[in-house]
Amino acid sequence: MNAQSKQRSIDKGDPHWIEWLTGVVSMAFVLALIGWIGWDAIGPRDTAPELSVRILGTSAEGAGYHVRFEIANAAKATAAGVVVRGEIRDGGRTLETIEMTLDYVPMKSTAQGGLIFTSDPEGRSVRVSAVGYSDP
Amino acid sequence: MADVRKGSNFDHRRFVVGLSRGIAGALLFALPMFLTMEMWELGFYIDRSRLFLLLSVNVPLLIVLAHRIGFERTSTWREAFRDAAIAYFLGILSSAAILVAIGVLRFGQAATEVAGTIALQAVPASIGALLARSQLGQRPHDEDEKCSPADTTYVGELFMMAVGALFLSLNVAPTEEMILLSYKMTPWHAIAVVLASIALMHGFVYALSFSGGHGMEKGTPGWHAFVRFTLPGYMVAFLVSVYCLWTFHRFDDVDLVEAAITAVVLGFPSAIGAASARLIL
Repeated sequence: MNAQSKQRSIDKGDPHWIEWLTGVVSMAFVLALIGWIGWDAIGPRDTAPELSVRILGTSAEGAGYHVRFEIANAAKATAAGVVVRGEIRDGGRTLETIEMTLDYVPMKSTAQGGLIFTSDPEGRSVRVSAVGYSDP
Repeated sequence: MADVRKGSNFDHRRFVVGLSRGIAGALLFALPMFLTMEMWELGFYIDRSRLFLLLSVNVPLLIVLAHRIGFERTSTWREAFRDAAIAYFLGILSSAAILVAIGVLRFGQAATEVAGTIALQAVPASIGALLARSQLGQRPHDEDEKCSPADTTYVGELFMMAVGALFLSLNVAPTEEMILLSYKMTPWHAIAVVLASIALMHGFVYALSFSGGHGMEKGTPGWHAFVRFTLPGYMVAFLVSVYCLWTFHRFDDVDLVEAAITAVVLGFPSAIGAASARLIL
């Protein structure tokens, strides 16, 4: 960069009305953004996430049986490193247990994933639940 | 200057130097992204319609950018179009070369993965290739009068801010730190970051007297520049952040407030990028 070629430039003192319009719209935008986040800030927060798991469906693919699930966080607190455990039970006996970790389940948001079982869940009971998390 | 390149007068050396500068620029500006793990992974799983949109948006962006700066001082849109095409190609070439060299791309990978990864990295690399002319090349003296910032239009200013914002945004938007930070921050932190971004933007361009900085005509109140340039600049930077985060799947299934805080986090580097674009470009 050549210092000589970079003089301070002067912005015109008599701007076009469109500049003022853009400025006013931007100011409204910034104030709305701050107001919105501020409104959220004074609202209540939760100390712990509230996780619930819903099974979306089961499909046989490749070597295993995929159980897709959606985990929802209803609380205003984000969970990190969420450990999800899936079990296939036949009567009182647990056939297979798998654990996996989801990176994040943000507040008031959902995350999806899948567990791959080697035993066929067809006709058996599948249980998927969140068993642990850390605070981000 | 344009007739130097015509017919037998074609200056091969100058042309080769121009191309090399483009590659150098692509490396200089996009190397942090080539070396970011999330960018490689995004190349595999990014939604193809979002990638297509990003690649398409890059075309007019490069053409307009080439018209303002570029490898050669372009006077016509045809030349701008040509320079944009060269820059895009150099971007693709250098991202392919680097990704192979660092072992991210190997033989035997699925073609769609390879194409996705190269295409994604080619966007920042191509912008870098174009900027190289402005930042790495020597400026001819006649450029000062032709391209003095005084004749920059208002829309042109906002466009350059968007390019600067996009540039810094692309660097950090794919990283996990952006969303992690938004989870660690309270809304109060976010508001502080918004105010700090705006204050820094204004300071960069008007108050700190960097070379290339801007002043107002005498007798104009200071808040004029703030309303006409700094606030619209922040809005542009924020919207660019939103676009980047959406492209990189950071908004999928996320609560709106949380998404806004993530955009505020990314808006901080974006705002700095937008402000420096006004100084540098």
